[in-house]
Amino acid sequence: MENHKIVGKGVVRSDYLAKVTGEAQFTADIKLPGMLVGKVLRSPHAHARILNIDGSRALRVPGVKAVINGFDGFGIKWGVFRYTQDHAMVPTDKVRYVGEDVAAVAAVDEETALEALDLIHVEYEPLPAVFDPVAAMAPGAPQIHDGYPGNINVHVHIDVGDVEAAFREAYIVRKDTFKAAGEAYAMMEPYAVVAHYSNGFLDLWMPNAGPHVRAKALANLLKMPLNKVRVRHIYSGGAFGGRSEVSPGDFVTALLSIKSGRPVKLVLSREENAISTRQTHDMIAAIKTGVKRDGTVLAKEFEVIYDGGAYSSTGPIAASIPYYVYEEAYRFPNVKYDGYRVYTNKGIRGMYGCHGRAFLAGNEVQLDMIAQDLGIDPVDIRMKNGLTVGEKTATKSWITSGNLAEPIGKAAEKAGWREKRGKLPRNKGIGMGCVAMMTGFPMGFRSGSSCSVKLNDDGHVTVITGIVDNGQGNESMAVQIASEVLGVPLGDINLINADTEITNLDPGAYSQAATYVGGNAVKRACDDARRQILSIASEKLQEPVESLDLRDRMVVSLQDTGKKMPISWIAREAFFRAKPITGVGSYIPKIDFDREWVSKPFGQMAGTYSFGASVAEVEVDGETGKVTMPRFVTAHDCGKAINPMAVEGQMEGSVQQAGVATLTEENLWNEGFLLNPDLLEYKVPLACDMPEIETVIVESHDPEGPFGAKEGGLTVRMNAHSAVACAVSDAVGVPFSELPLTPDRVLTMLEREKEGGTK
Amino acid sequence: MILPGFAYARPKTVRTAIALHNGSQGQAVYLAGGTDLVPRLKYRLVNPTVVIDLKGIQTLTSIIPGRRFLKIGANVTLHDLKNHPAVRENYPALYQSLDATSCETLQMRGTIAGNVLQNTRCLFYNKPDEWRKAKGYCLKMGGPACNAVKGAKMCFANYAGDNAPALITLNAEVKLSGIDGERQMPLEAIFSGKSDLPYTIKPGEILTHILIPGGKTKGDYLKLRVRGSIDYPLVGAAVSLVNERGRVAVGAVGSKPLCFDFDASEAGWVDRIAREVSDAVRPVANTVLSPAYRKKMAGTLVKRIARKLAEENR
Repeated sequence: MENHKIVGKGVVRSDYLAKVTGEAQFTADIKLPGMLVGKVLRSPHAHARILNIDGSRALRVPGVKAVINGFDGFGIKWGVFRYTQDHAMVPTDKVRYVGEDVAAVAAVDEETALEALDLIHVEYEPLPAVFDPVAAMAPGAPQIHDGYPGNINVHVHIDVGDVEAAFREAYIVRKDTFKAAGEAYAMMEPYAVVAHYSNGFLDLWMPNAGPHVRAKALANLLKMPLNKVRVRHIYSGGAFGGRSEVSPGDFVTALLSIKSGRPVKLVLSREENAISTRQTHDMIAAIKTGVKRDGTVLAKEFEVIYDGGAYSSTGPIAASIPYYVYEEAYRFPNVKYDGYRVYTNKGIRGMYGCHGRAFLAGNEVQLDMIAQDLGIDPVDIRMKNGLTVGEKTATKSWITSGNLAEPIGKAAEKAGWREKRGKLPRNKGIGMGCVAMMTGFPMGFRSGSSCSVKLNDDGHVTVITGIVDNGQGNESMAVQIASEVLGVPLGDINLINADTEITNLDPGAYSQAATYVGGNAVKRACDDARRQILSIASEKLQEPVESLDLRDRMVVSLQDTGKKMPISWIAREAFFRAKPITGVGSYIPKIDFDREWVSKPFGQMAGTYSFGASVAEVEVDGETGKVTMPRFVTAHDCGKAINPMAVEGQMEGSVQQAGVATLTEENLWNEGFLLNPDLLEYKVPLACDMPEIETVIVESHDPEGPFGAKEGGLTVRMNAHSAVACAVSDAVGVPFSELPLTPDRVLTMLEREKEGGTK
Repeated sequence: MILPGFAYARPKTVRTAIALHNGSQGQAVYLAGGTDLVPRLKYRLVNPTVVIDLKGIQTLTSIIPGRRFLKIGANVTLHDLKNHPAVRENYPALYQSLDATSCETLQMRGTIAGNVLQNTRCLFYNKPDEWRKAKGYCLKMGGPACNAVKGAKMCFANYAGDNAPALITLNAEVKLSGIDGERQMPLEAIFSGKSDLPYTIKPGEILTHILIPGGKTKGDYLKLRVRGSIDYPLVGAAVSLVNERGRVAVGAVGSKPLCFDFDASEAGWVDRIAREVSDAVRPVANTVLSPAYRKKMAGTLVKRIARKLAEENR
């Protein structure tokens, strides 16, 4: 099983050379003949009725080629689900947040476009707005959409066992409430779109986490057939969940190109990217836990309020995921979960790689408090309650490989947990966060991926797959799998991917599907091609197929090393036989497709689960509340590391984006205005803020995953915040109540501790 | 985000620069390193017709140790100044404030005069034009009232330079050159005390030199910020001490560095000066951390430096 030629080796990723030399083309780099510059007019109001939009003066500016607004569309609203179709992309009824796209121009240059924007006259009737989800749920609050009483966009209700009875039986019951501010995705590439409409065909380029999903949404919005809306391959400067769904900029740029008949490029500023693409959810999580005397969790009861912003976006998923990644890690015999996603007059909110820190860190800190009351080590209480292969989650999903205990044990050992926890001096702390991630979840028929492979007459290989890469290394992963199966070097493989008119359906870099689902399809297609190659070779070499292997561009006999033949010869022979070597392969994860986020939250959620545990060590400045983090250890069961270097990279990036960000990152608001849309006042951790990181890769060899692989890194993105919050709470001696742990909040914790804490 | 259109000039002498400014009907701005000005231009916080680049003036690029003063040319970069032996040896507060300014790459670009003369900052003001238009222009943009302190008829933007507080504790003076000739005055005198128009400098006047009195000092600079680099101070505290005479300057809370003098021979001076500072500063909610916390930290940072100096003196 472990006898791999290249899988499992830390090879240089296939995209690195282009990126480090600057050859890689991103959307903003695209230059097409006659291309225009697009600019968007945005709403100055958080909530207002649109009475009139007059773009006629803008259209008269020399050099302006198109002016559009929502009325140029078909009035179709988009939503991930049929029941969440509330987003027109460019509204015609009313604006619902400051910065919402209202109109746009395409002009020969940016100066002209800006001049024209100033001449578009929009008449508004301002409406009362609401910015706080709790206030939005209160009677009498302004209603942001019709048909959603209390502005409740989504209510996810899960009820397993008998929570009340279990609490009565419990030795300790604890209830706490935790809050966290929303974060910015802060991808280094601000959003950009190029649209080129010509001869009835629309070509599009934009950073995206799923070209097929994007093309479908735009085809619907523009009432065009899917094969005339082509989302093409382009390098992406980061997604982190924020580029999974169609964005208003896609629709705007497409309309501008359709109207002007010329290619149009829209490049958002950093500030527009933060205000008008997607944001993450602010959150309030009330958590009640009951345990037995020995630390066994008997029951969990949750009420979580998600500040959903102006539209549904990924609503039902966003209102569920924090809970699921927790129930996938731990055994809950009785559980009740109520997740309310509430509309507010703020920007569109989507899924985030670190989604749910108030909930996840809150649960973990509360578990620490319970463990302390019981005199149990936090590591032991986690191990005791962690799920393992063969068990089912509370909502009836089988765990098919791995367990929580192994990464916990390995992280604790590497971090020197037993020597440190409870033994550190004042203001030093150590904390652990755990989670398990679903890998490939229900997206209907889009949950699966297909791949085709052709062997060229020189023996080189072309792999065609819908897999998309947002920087994680997905492309390189596909190339590495093909190289392993077909016995040709990485450099002999050309990958054609993420181009909707060439590649078949793929879930995208979403739900941790790229390796597990897309990689599986690549492996199957390559296996198919391999069978065809070996079949011809068997004839030619007079050897049974079973004793042949592909390596170093050759078919070789395992019995007689003298017997071999270049793969290119086989390719040519196949052409003679009018049966060129063309492999196809598909994979769809074994999930319960009747499962539904709101109406039926039971059944197999995902193909598999990856487990992880992170340990943070912190020091708190007792006078200022400033936290520093000298060390961070993280252990992650990724099933099998196809490329360990890439997995480590993902783990380290996750420590920054989730872990260190727990000390610094938050969107700040003032009545619907984002106060820190720039990267100066939005505090993405810097190199100097990073801890010493140690990564431990755990391999549980998933029976379904390609070469046993699951996903690489997201588990750390979803538990690093918990590790940091637990460590700071340990250092100070009282549990945190609000994230991020900026020095002012930590100083408040220190003051609370002085008034009656424990350390 | 593109720059607005403007004419660009790069004179070789102070005199030509002043003449160019004088001929611009008040529509010119001076450019040095550009680390403060260029983002302001992009955000349309300033809309000049002419940008006069001072970097071509060679006479302003040197550091000259003299008998009474260390004379620093306006164009000296923060990085060069930080690495000058006289700064390292004599002015620890200044060395630390230079080192704490943004990050090394920007220290190599930014000049000392440009850094001292940076405009005041506010979360509600340093924003793109569309953002501010949507919010309604604040007082500093000519609007009717402050947006940070709703309805207030005064501006609370913070002077967020790291180095002016340190220089003030060192009793630095500045040399200005304008249409009416040259003048020299204490650095703190260039601050008007008004956040919306923070300087007393006359239109077209150029800060040509900074003069720091010679001789060794003790001191330090501490900066409150969320991250370990790049960030502007949320509070910046400088303390310098010669013999027993000391001076504190606190920046980033209000329109100008606030100064406090103390006598380090008096008993209990450490607590007293820290309390005095904390009582005196009046931060408002216009940065990423709360005003109450920043008020507390002003005292805490000063106390921290004072404690260290008291121990060194013992």
